[in-house]
Amino acid sequence: MAKGQPLQFDLDEDDLKLFTEEADEQLELLDTALVQLEGEPDAELVQQIFRAAHTLKGSSATIGHKRMASLTHAMESVLDAVRQNRLSPDSDVVDVLLVALDALRVLAAEVTTRVHSGTEPAAIEARLKDILDGNDGGAAVSLTATARPASMPPAVADTLLAELNAGNQAFHVHVTIDASCELPGIRCYQVLQEIEAIGAVPWTAPDRDAIEAGNGEHSLTMAVTGLIEESHVRTALDAVSDLGPVVVALLSVDELAAATPVTPLGSVPGERPRLRVVEPEAAAPASEAKAGKKASQSVRIDVERLDGLMNLVGELVIDRTRLQQIREAANPVLKDANLQELLQNFEETTSHLTRITDELQEEIMRSRMLPVRSVLSRLPRLVRDVSAKCGKKVELIMSGEETELDRSVIEEISDPLVHILRNAIDHGLESPEERRAAGKPETGTVTVTAWNQETYIYLSVKDDGKGIDTATLRNKAVEKGLIARDVADAASDEAAVQFIFLPGLSTAKTLSDVSGRGVGMDIVRTNIERVNGNVSVRSEPGKGSEFIIQLPLTLATTKALMVMAQQTVYAMPLVSVTEALLEREADIHSVNGNRTLRLRGKLFPLIDLAQALGDGPSVEPEGERFVVAARHGSRQVGFLVDRLLGEQDVVVKSLGDLIGNRKGLTGATILGDGTLGLIIDMPSLISEQALFAA
Amino acid sequence: MARPGAFATEDEQAPSAEEHVVVFRLGQEFYALDIQAVQEIVRIQPTTSIPGSEPWVEGITNLRGRVVPVIDLRRRCGVQAADHTSDSRVVVVGGTTGMVGLIVDAVTEVMRIPVDQIEAPGSIVSVPQNSYLRGIAKLEDRLVSLMDLDGVLPSREMGERDEAGQTETIARAA
Repeated sequence: MAKGQPLQFDLDEDDLKLFTEEADEQLELLDTALVQLEGEPDAELVQQIFRAAHTLKGSSATIGHKRMASLTHAMESVLDAVRQNRLSPDSDVVDVLLVALDALRVLAAEVTTRVHSGTEPAAIEARLKDILDGNDGGAAVSLTATARPASMPPAVADTLLAELNAGNQAFHVHVTIDASCELPGIRCYQVLQEIEAIGAVPWTAPDRDAIEAGNGEHSLTMAVTGLIEESHVRTALDAVSDLGPVVVALLSVDELAAATPVTPLGSVPGERPRLRVVEPEAAAPASEAKAGKKASQSVRIDVERLDGLMNLVGELVIDRTRLQQIREAANPVLKDANLQELLQNFEETTSHLTRITDELQEEIMRSRMLPVRSVLSRLPRLVRDVSAKCGKKVELIMSGEETELDRSVIEEISDPLVHILRNAIDHGLESPEERRAAGKPETGTVTVTAWNQETYIYLSVKDDGKGIDTATLRNKAVEKGLIARDVADAASDEAAVQFIFLPGLSTAKTLSDVSGRGVGMDIVRTNIERVNGNVSVRSEPGKGSEFIIQLPLTLATTKALMVMAQQTVYAMPLVSVTEALLEREADIHSVNGNRTLRLRGKLFPLIDLAQALGDGPSVEPEGERFVVAARHGSRQVGFLVDRLLGEQDVVVKSLGDLIGNRKGLTGATILGDGTLGLIIDMPSLISEQALFAA
Repeated sequence: MARPGAFATEDEQAPSAEEHVVVFRLGQEFYALDIQAVQEIVRIQPTTSIPGSEPWVEGITNLRGRVVPVIDLRRRCGVQAADHTSDSRVVVVGGTTGMVGLIVDAVTEVMRIPVDQIEAPGSIVSVPQNSYLRGIAKLEDRLVSLMDLDGVLPSREMGERDEAGQTETIARAA
């Protein structure tokens, strides 16, 4: 069998789902545990890893995936030797196990794609066997057996290696085009176009000329590189129709190094980063046993089904509120009609229904919660790879992994977190030499902490590196025309550090330093704000930086301040609101003809909310008006509204495709009386108004 | 039966072919929508207007827990605006952009129109924008214009997504 050929496995659609879910779970566990193994091997951990490999062996053998079963078998043998203390899990052993793990991932993906990825585990198995036999010459065995980089010319692997060293990612992408597609050449060309829109494509097979001439066939292989994740590649490919299975494999330094004749810089043996995972104190002992017990008592539920339940409960909550209003309206009528008994029954039923509905909502919300561990577990491996790549010594400390949040939030937070962490190591931490010169320990520390506070979850990534150079940041922001010189100079250091989130800013000193902070941080902020979150940064020169991400516990509901403007009810998410006050009591000035609010010694624009949204003042507001002060990053704006209606949990509903993305609005919510209120997109409205005023 | 929204082609034009439609009134004119596209007909209910939206978008309304945009069909079709009456209704249709409510002056009947009584929209139309129309049915006592749903519901302008991050990547890769 060779690469690109269709594969048959012994499983149906349901089994497939089960297989991939289980495989993903075990692979993720292996990813974390193997890296930990290198640091501090303990019997429990080894047992856990052994069991994961054993489970994978069993399931792959059941479906008839011979290569996967054979590779897991080889891994199992090594792990068995470690378990029996016949073999010490030093970094060489862990290296090979990690290479094997990467290959396993590709093999597991074949079950979904049903196409041979070209991965032949024989050489890795040989290396595993060498380790078992105490043969240290194992490293001499070529890793090209994974066949991913092997199929490309050495010069390409060399190019990719340079990209990796520069902080980019490299992928081996194999795309198949449906046999039924009559013009595969066009699809190949489209694939190339889509991929080139997100990254560079240094190599393709068939070659670029053939593709551009429209001579592509039903399969296309290419090397892709850029500051991108696998998901970006997959999303780009989604835009092309008629595609069959797609295999996207992340290439590691080791793999590429094996495929090039040149020795890469960066991964110096013996300079391994140290890793430590700190369990939260309470959960430290018996956490593994607890996890095992939990697993046996849980049931897998389709996320769509949970989402459906969530929506139904949302509607129930609204009906409950309406029922309460009806009860209040009916109250005097029933009393007058002397229907005391009926009234009492009505009251009791309504209040019972209210309680049950609240509990139901709470329970369903909980059932969608996942411990943040599922994201954090990816980090040790990432730290290991990134620190080796940039020649830094890093100790990773994680805590609060038990903190739970909604799975939709978890999905959104993973990429930003990885980005921040990568930047902390690449740019935040100094090289061992610089650290020594600064009188710091050679090994830098990056601490990732998660915790709950009220209805938010916080994630902090803190490093003890050199901190952010605010002088450089100010100059860059001015040079790039992102901010006026006087504004930049007037900003406090605290405010200047926030410039790092400005779009299009990079503090990288040289062009090769491509994982420049600005590019990434802009995306990080956008992603976090998309889920109603906030990100801020604190930095102290010479001492380090800390990024703090604030996220709502769930995306389904948002806490908001309800206000009235021009006869319409608006919900202003509380995460951005700083305070609300009477217009009469606010300190309002006129600066250059614009109304300006002074609050706590700072001046910022005061804008009519309805006007900001494009709703002219058609109705003269009656009575006293209010000012709602709101903040987004370092920008602040005061919004004038007609009335304050109090705080409320709002269920976010889309405005629908016909209305689409309306300026300044994120959606609608159903109010107690059954009518609709509009939810304000605070970040975009604040940015726009602050900019407009400046 | 003819396919919804399309003229019967020659090979499917049997003598008994007819279109099943919901007929409604807009000003003095009668219009019809394919019954397959109509999900329900409700009384006028409160709508929340969307600041900055096109004038013919009445707003959004809550239809049993769903947020449904509502279009004032008079304004959309260039018929002079008028106040809603007790006969006014919202015809809820399922278009390519999801559920949409259309405000009409009255829903008059549900009927079957023989395909051979339907002609292509021509000079007899008094409504200026006849791109909404896909045919005119000549009945004994009046004319009924067959409305093309996709013509009434414009597809949303694309390209609003924030692609800033991707642009950065391109810039560097280039």
